[in-house]
Amino acid sequence: MTTPIRGVPAAPGVARAAIWRAPEPGASAGTSGTDIGLHEATERAARELESLQERLRASGREEESEIFGAQAMMAQDPELLEAAQQAVDAGTPAEQAVHLAGEAAAVALASLDDELLSARAADVRDVAARIIRILRGEQPPRLEERSIAIAMDLPPSITAELDPALLMGIALEAGSRTAHAAILSRALGIPAVVGARGLLEAAKDASEIAVDGTSGEVFIDPDAETLAEIERRTAAAGAEVAADAELRDRPLQTADGHRLMLAANIGQPDDAKRAIEGGAEGVGLFRTEFMFMGRATAPDEATQTTAYAKVLDAFGERPVVIRLIDLGGDKDLPYLPLPREENPFLGVRALRLADAGHEELVLTQLRAILAAGERTGRQPWIMAPMVADLPDVYRLHELVALAAFGRTMGVQPKVGIMVEIPSVALLAELVAPEVAFFSIGTNDLTQYLLAADRTNPGLAERQDPLHPAVLRAIAGVVEGGHAAGIPVAVCGEMAGDPAGAMALAGLGIDELSMDAGAFGAVKRAVGGATLGELQEATRHAMHAESAKEVRSIFDSMRGTRAEEREAVG
Amino acid sequence: MAEATVELRNPSGLHARPAATFVKAATGFKSDIRVVNLTRDSEKSAAAKSMLGVLGLGVSHGHSIRITAEGDDADDAVRTLREMVEAGLGEAIAE
Repeated sequence: MTTPIRGVPAAPGVARAAIWRAPEPGASAGTSGTDIGLHEATERAARELESLQERLRASGREEESEIFGAQAMMAQDPELLEAAQQAVDAGTPAEQAVHLAGEAAAVALASLDDELLSARAADVRDVAARIIRILRGEQPPRLEERSIAIAMDLPPSITAELDPALLMGIALEAGSRTAHAAILSRALGIPAVVGARGLLEAAKDASEIAVDGTSGEVFIDPDAETLAEIERRTAAAGAEVAADAELRDRPLQTADGHRLMLAANIGQPDDAKRAIEGGAEGVGLFRTEFMFMGRATAPDEATQTTAYAKVLDAFGERPVVIRLIDLGGDKDLPYLPLPREENPFLGVRALRLADAGHEELVLTQLRAILAAGERTGRQPWIMAPMVADLPDVYRLHELVALAAFGRTMGVQPKVGIMVEIPSVALLAELVAPEVAFFSIGTNDLTQYLLAADRTNPGLAERQDPLHPAVLRAIAGVVEGGHAAGIPVAVCGEMAGDPAGAMALAGLGIDELSMDAGAFGAVKRAVGGATLGELQEATRHAMHAESAKEVRSIFDSMRGTRAEEREAVG
Repeated sequence: MAEATVELRNPSGLHARPAATFVKAATGFKSDIRVVNLTRDSEKSAAAKSMLGVLGLGVSHGHSIRITAEGDDADDAVRTLREMVEAGLGEAIAE
């Protein structure tokens, strides 16, 4: 097998094709290839961008088309043009003048503390690169044959010019899952890998490349054995994609029509779109830690409000559960000096921070959530982690009331808790009447119930949420929640695991929340059996000896079903 | 000279799409039109006909902007732009 270069999977699927190297976004000064002036070049750039906008709009790629609408206006921006013209008048070559003017505008935008606006800096640079290309008399990039594009990063101006019928995949040395090229790949249904370090150097003299956007592997000049493996993966991926697409508009339900709500776990506002496209009926877990990591000061109320409003807006009438920050001594944040603890998972974290001198941190987040609710007119669902008993629930309500002080509160939030500490699972029937919903965090519930540290790889086998003890704990939570008439969801890894989802359906869970990538597999697993069959299997599972035995019960159900289908088909 | 102050209520601020709507409308007038973001920096003004200038003001939700115009159609320009901002520049805004 050819040794793969590993990157981050950004769009699923497998492809193999010739390498197409994207042109370097050069801005080095050189002599102009043409004698067209600055005004003519910007006019042409704007016309190119407008026709791109039209073409994308006509093919239903509305969101991308708007990027080019904005870029067309930037290309003809009077301030940009004036800055460049002044430099030209002072003797600077036109290409360099455009580069400098674009760079100045980009830096000004990038320095804004508004995420959406600072992201436009890349668009200005992209527009400048286009004008420079026209000044040089060069043609727009184009593919000659079926190809996989490789580059450091791919700006929208290049990806949109490439013929989608010839573009088989994308592999980038830089970039992230939310890079424009990654979003485009998912929209086109072609595989993409980003963050593949060493890719360009390794592919320097190569002509062919294979990309597995599901595993994140890139194979350069694949050998015969690798090609056979790629063939196999292509066939498997094709079957899966077709099956998932067919399932997209079908609800999550058992073979006899018992419905469960299907929700998405998201880690940042930009994940909302993918979740909605995948068919999410809401957000079961919006992790808010992303906003608090990698910065010198805590994010202020306005910054947080914008992020929460974006997700509430995207989901409209559908519920969005925002989890309060789950930070503790295991995270090293400059603005949150916490003493090192022997057992940070059993220490001062999450809601407990409010009583350890960091009440304001929790209150700021609560105020931002309430403000986002008012701004969008949508009801936010607030979920607190690390709740152990009724006094914790009362404290939570007190904090929400403090945050709401002085607000008109046209929109009342729903306040619920994450069930992950075993004590609150045991007290479910006492706690349920005091909250609006339960959401079971099976990862932590498992580590706490089985006394098995999640971060210790040597204990990985003891971390299986399908353990009979975890199933019994969940059964108690469902019973307690339903007696009080509140919904009970699961937002841990278990919900996105086919066997786990089957057990949860059998236990009477109302909602499963998971990464959107798991929707298809979970719909297939739950849809393969009737509610009665799942309930019976769950009863057996609660009397099993081990998680392994529980898995075999559900795996054999899936296997039998698949064989029956094949026998019929 | 005409002048108006208005608060932006678009949930995601004056990002690319509403900014484009605003700049296009401004470009339709003959007057010289300028915009200031009073909430962020009342000393810095931008040409209303410049996409980069308007984006560069960093107008977020709840910020107040002042629009000034000089020229034959100044009154008309300021009134039209103010009304467009109040109506959300083509985006849904919460009351």
